[in-house]
Amino acid sequence: MISGSAVRQDQPGESELRGRITVEGLEVVYEGRRGRNQALTSTDAMFEAGSFNALVGPTGCGKSTLLNVIGGFVAPTTGRVLLDGKPTLTPGPDRGVVFQSYALMPWFTASGNIEFALKSQGISRAERKARAAEALKNVGLAGREALYPSELSGGMQQRVAIARTLAVNPTVLLMDEPFGALDAQTRMTMQQFLLDLWEADKVTVVFVTHDVDEALVLADRVFVMTSSPGKIETVIEVSTARPRSAEDYSGDHAELRKQVIQLLKH
Amino acid sequence: MRQRGDPSAEPNAESGLLGQAGDGDRQGLAGALRRWFRAGVKFVVQWGPSIALLLLVWELIVRSGTVSRRLFPSPRDTFDAGLSLLEAGVLFTDFRFSLTRSVVGFVLGGIAGVLVGLLTGRLRSAEFILSPMILLFRPIPAIALVPVATVWFGIGERAKYFVIAYSVFLAVWLNVHAGASSVSETHIRVARSLGASRTRTFREVVVPAAAPDIVNGLRYGSAVAFIVLIAAELAGARAGMGYRIQISAEFLQTDRIFFGLVQLGVLGAILDALFVFTSRRIIHWGER
Repeated sequence: MISGSAVRQDQPGESELRGRITVEGLEVVYEGRRGRNQALTSTDAMFEAGSFNALVGPTGCGKSTLLNVIGGFVAPTTGRVLLDGKPTLTPGPDRGVVFQSYALMPWFTASGNIEFALKSQGISRAERKARAAEALKNVGLAGREALYPSELSGGMQQRVAIARTLAVNPTVLLMDEPFGALDAQTRMTMQQFLLDLWEADKVTVVFVTHDVDEALVLADRVFVMTSSPGKIETVIEVSTARPRSAEDYSGDHAELRKQVIQLLKH
Repeated sequence: MRQRGDPSAEPNAESGLLGQAGDGDRQGLAGALRRWFRAGVKFVVQWGPSIALLLLVWELIVRSGTVSRRLFPSPRDTFDAGLSLLEAGVLFTDFRFSLTRSVVGFVLGGIAGVLVGLLTGRLRSAEFILSPMILLFRPIPAIALVPVATVWFGIGERAKYFVIAYSVFLAVWLNVHAGASSVSETHIRVARSLGASRTRTFREVVVPAAAPDIVNGLRYGSAVAFIVLIAAELAGARAGMGYRIQISAEFLQTDRIFFGLVQLGVLGAILDALFVFTSRRIIHWGER
């Protein structure tokens, strides 16, 4: 289950085996009060192990739906999603999730939120405390263990949420517009933070956003999605060299940006 | 209801100070005294003017002579009636009986309300089976149950416990059910994806998330316990604050009736204030 430990170790051979997501003929239909709503038409996709993938598109293109199926929160109507060959039918610690709303538990401290995650792994109380402090230090929040989420800024809260998710060593990181609620400055800081984090620990990332620039600066591959019905229109390879900087757009950013925006107009 | 100048961070800071004062007790004591003094001043400022106005209007009505003093006693008469009850030795007996009844009824009904509310709020099957039933019971006023309870349990204490517990249960259930069924789906998803079991998600996510509603429900339930207590005592008892009002009416002792009413008001307000005070200290997160 906890295959993330292999990723933590410096074994590129092993990490490449873990965290490959295959989407096969996936279709999701929501049965609502107003009849059927096709969130996603027959979709095939592949997210390579250790790659950074962005899903961009307008509201209703099914990007969050796709993420939710991978997360095991929404069941496919037809087709399936496989993580390393196994269907993702229920949520599990192998797929860490980060939400736009941070989703920290306000009744736990910053440390308590991370300890909550560690508790599932049968770690002793003292060890949990130590590891939570370590995890907070890793996201630049040393000394904030005892603060409650309401006492932290938006950016700090999202750091805690990311630290919480990574604490259980997931092979896949699913992020649903994680920086959507942050101001421009903080958002850029957080993008750089995520880039550095991912550079050090190459988990498979599926990152939902409607910000084209954000997608291009972060991802190896940008899945451009269109709505009604939701589907993947094109996959764009971003070959910009790594490590990247969130502050300046290099490579063929401008060219790709034009291309994506054209695609989204359809 | 939350006061503005009272940020939730404050209690934490206070307990932190108290914690540090372990080696210097005198400083801690002085600090505590200062805080108590400040709370006292705040209380007088908050309650004083309003209560003073009430007493003034009350006194003026009596002095104006428009109503007979026998039917509408003055504040002073009411106070004296209280003293006479104290001298007669019934004041504390009544108080003890009434308090026991409402506390027992409140605890029984409160526990049942919280448990069933969490159950129906989180489990489809429990909601399907229980909610329609409870919604059918809800409109039945507690007072209408008094005769049945008397037939079942006699005019002893158990009839009162039953009626009070019943009413408290419904009040608490409604709030807890609403709170438990509206726990953020995202929080549940986070817990599940972090590998938390269903029981742990329930204990560490659902219960704390519903806690503000549980407290609201219990607060409302405590007021209900008080109201129903009096209704139950009016229907037959040998002691208690409601019984005293009833008996005083038979002897046309309006001053004693007034004292009983004042007593109920003051006690209820104190109870409610205590509730808010303690719950704020325990639950620092509110509904969003």
